[in-house]
Amino acid sequence: CLSLAGIMLLEVFLALGALIIYFLFSKKKEETLSFKEGWWGKGQKPDAEEDTTIRPFKVETTEEELSDLFRRLDQARFTEPLENSCFHYGTNSVYLRKVVSYWKNQFNWKKQVEVLNKYPQFKTKIQGIDIHFVHVKPPRLPEGHSAKPLLMVHGWPGSFYEFYKIIPLLTDPASHGLSDENIFEVICPSIPGYGFSEAPHKTDFNSVSAASVFYELMLRLGFNEFYAQGGDWGWLICTNLAQMAPNHMKGLHLNLASVTNMGFAHLLSILLGRYFPGLFGFQEEDVRRMFPFWNKGIYRILLESGYAHIQATKPDTVGCGLNDSPAGLAAYILEKFSTWTDLKFHNLEDGGLEKKFNLDDLLTNIMIYWVSGCVVSSMRFYKENLQNGIGNQKHDRLTVRVPTGIASFPNELLHTPRAWAQKKYTNIVSFHFMPRGGHFAALEEPELLAEDILQFVAKVEKEQLWKKK
Amino acid sequence: TILCLLRSFEYSQKNAILVPAAALGVGGILVFWLRSRHKIKTIEMGDGWWGSGERPLKGKEDESIRPFKIETSDKEIEDLHRRLEQARYTPPLEGAAFHYGFNSNYLRKVVAYWRNQFDWRKQVEVLNKYPHFQTTIEGIDIHFIHVKPSYVPHGRAVQPLLMVHGWPGSFYEFYKIIPLLTEPARHGLNEGDVVFEVICPSIPGYGFSEAPHQKGFDSVATARIFHKLMNRLGFKQYYLQGGDWGSRITTNMAQMLPQSVKGLHLNVVFINKQGLGRIISVMLGAYLPWLVGLTREDARRIYPFMEKNVYYLLRESGYLHIQATKPDTAGCGLNDSPVGLAAYILEKFSTWTDKSFLDKDDGGLESKYSLDELLTNVMIYWVTSSIVSSVRYYKENFAKDPDLTAHTRVGVHVPTGIAAFPQELAHTPRVWAKQMFKNIVTYSYMPRGGHFAAFEEPKLLAQDIMQFVRKVEQL
Repeated sequence: CLSLAGIMLLEVFLALGALIIYFLFSKKKEETLSFKEGWWGKGQKPDAEEDTTIRPFKVETTEEELSDLFRRLDQARFTEPLENSCFHYGTNSVYLRKVVSYWKNQFNWKKQVEVLNKYPQFKTKIQGIDIHFVHVKPPRLPEGHSAKPLLMVHGWPGSFYEFYKIIPLLTDPASHGLSDENIFEVICPSIPGYGFSEAPHKTDFNSVSAASVFYELMLRLGFNEFYAQGGDWGWLICTNLAQMAPNHMKGLHLNLASVTNMGFAHLLSILLGRYFPGLFGFQEEDVRRMFPFWNKGIYRILLESGYAHIQATKPDTVGCGLNDSPAGLAAYILEKFSTWTDLKFHNLEDGGLEKKFNLDDLLTNIMIYWVSGCVVSSMRFYKENLQNGIGNQKHDRLTVRVPTGIASFPNELLHTPRAWAQKKYTNIVSFHFMPRGGHFAALEEPELLAEDILQFVAKVEKEQLWKKK
Repeated sequence: TILCLLRSFEYSQKNAILVPAAALGVGGILVFWLRSRHKIKTIEMGDGWWGSGERPLKGKEDESIRPFKIETSDKEIEDLHRRLEQARYTPPLEGAAFHYGFNSNYLRKVVAYWRNQFDWRKQVEVLNKYPHFQTTIEGIDIHFIHVKPSYVPHGRAVQPLLMVHGWPGSFYEFYKIIPLLTEPARHGLNEGDVVFEVICPSIPGYGFSEAPHQKGFDSVATARIFHKLMNRLGFKQYYLQGGDWGSRITTNMAQMLPQSVKGLHLNVVFINKQGLGRIISVMLGAYLPWLVGLTREDARRIYPFMEKNVYYLLRESGYLHIQATKPDTAGCGLNDSPVGLAAYILEKFSTWTDKSFLDKDDGGLESKYSLDELLTNVMIYWVTSSIVSSVRYYKENFAKDPDLTAHTRVGVHVPTGIAAFPQELAHTPRVWAKQMFKNIVTYSYMPRGGHFAAFEEPKLLAQDIMQFVRKVEQL
């Protein structure tokens, strides 16, 4: 007969077994991010059905708009920089004067509006607000090919315009010397509160809300399966979208892959990774980009994150003057295009801006913020996402199982090694160290980025990786 | 035994020199050690040049003190009005009050007042009612007001008092408290025999003081310049009062030339983070405040600790972060848009006066201040185009010394008076302040008031300054 001890032992085994089974299954349990319902229009949500038509849209300008702009540029009040300060105190006002002079005398907004309108644009109402987007189909499709839908999401202080150089490389790769194995139709929406997308009127519009809105957009456009690409806020929105709708997303490509929930393992790898890179999965290039960590990690973040701190706490205050002074808006935005393209540009009196970009492109992006008056709402996105801290929201803890491709540009502010990224992006199909380029990859290095997107999609398509999640 | 040793000690020529030499040596070390313990450490004064270009090799600096009057013109007022009329606003989010920053619905009202009722010419006359001066020190023009009592009671000594403002304030913050200090009896204050002549300079880069042209202008440089100013005015010993940057500057002044500072009065105290000892004291203090030297009022003001001292400060320090890193960028639009400047500055007058003002649609501004006085302060930044140079001060100070602890070792040894206002951004208990301020003569828990003490509660502050000075004079 069974002794008491025997019964107890059995109970212990049963309990252990139950625990093991629980852990096994809880690991396999797939948690997805829920779709976030919302209504962001003014006042109360009406009872009537929402208008779901997709209306063509064209950017327009008026003489009044231009003369108002010129008047403000004429009356701009500048403060002399400190001697020998270059871009160390922010945008150098001596250089800013030159930009403002170009803006007034040579920049042709009417011509740039035509440039903006060369791609078909549309608006449609989703969750109570008008969403603007560009939708470019391939000019020609070879026999047997179909265009793959690709959603590309911009960030701050960028806009849909950042993609204008890369779009032709993706919709018509053959004409640009790239492989036409995969051809895309590209959809570039404006994040609500940015550019020509209406700003939410209610609080709490965060990246999950944006992902939900873009999810609805893609479904409304009839796409059941699509790819997504993003950097800056686009990185987070596309990541949330992958967590929300993994069955619709064939692949996720990112040019920024941040890790927001750092744990003890990360701390350890920061302390020891320089000496035992292999132990932590760091490659030589990772070490080169990340260490010394105090300088390249902490100090750099502190030095460069003032804007995020104030935008995440007092967006209406900081944006107020910028919506009223185009010179002030330009100074604020151009500083990012300088520093986030190459940190060494701090040491240049002109911030190195015209080394990688031309003034027409930079000013066109700024004009999108100016004519739409969206700088304040664009900054509120920081508060909605960061007000409770970094890395403690539900989506920070969820992983991404969609096939992911990461293009890691060398001059990005913070480097994320593959070893860290793969804890969140569990299905990394490609991870490449790009030879050059910074934060605004699509605008600065469109060919490099396009090539990386194409090789990633080629991999996913060839092995049909989206089915294997 | 020692006695045996002494007995066997042989007297010889060599020993005759050795013993006195050894005695001298030991005695010398003893004396040196005793004296060094009493010698107060000071901050080195140094020197500086802040004008444009190179410092001129020849010629002495012009030390004249020139009378100064604030002026305005039709052109200046028309330009302002035009900008106010063309302001572009963004509607606030529904239910946001002041949680996203300055509420633009209320801002419209302020701007409407500014455009239609605020009378800058009249305010300029108000500003000019006290005598203003300018004098060149270290290559830049320093502006200050100097108010003497119009009537000195028989046999009373007049104490010189230097009062230093902060950001986003100005010398104008002291306009209500000055008469209480120069003529206390006339204003119902009868604090014994204390009467002041008040000097309020503008920090270089603020208001009518010229902005430094060189990098590196920090609170130590400011302290030195203000000492030179007082010296030039003929004062050898004086009192100091300050809040915000003024607190830091006057503290540095007391550390630099303690022999010139009769007393230091502060309405905000910056102390360094101490480390493990402080953490333990904070944790224990939540349950047994008396054990770690905290009073009941201290405990009431600093707990819950994380919320009031960490999260609150993180939420309120965005401006500090961007100003300490990219001042030229942050200030650019503000110098070009008076509406933007007003929103940026007035947000502080709301939030730093009372934490609950965040919940109000109008930020509670007019419950404590009049629009005329708030806008006059904003106008000082506007007409002098000094917003960018004013925010550079953050970078110059924080870049060198991120937690403002550079001179903690030096300490502050002059008699110090602290007025702790309840709505100040963070509360510093006396027991923590003592680690830096070695000679606290008075420490008062003020019944009400926030960061802009002189502006908001002039009478309370004046009374505290007077009772502090009276105590020091009696010492």
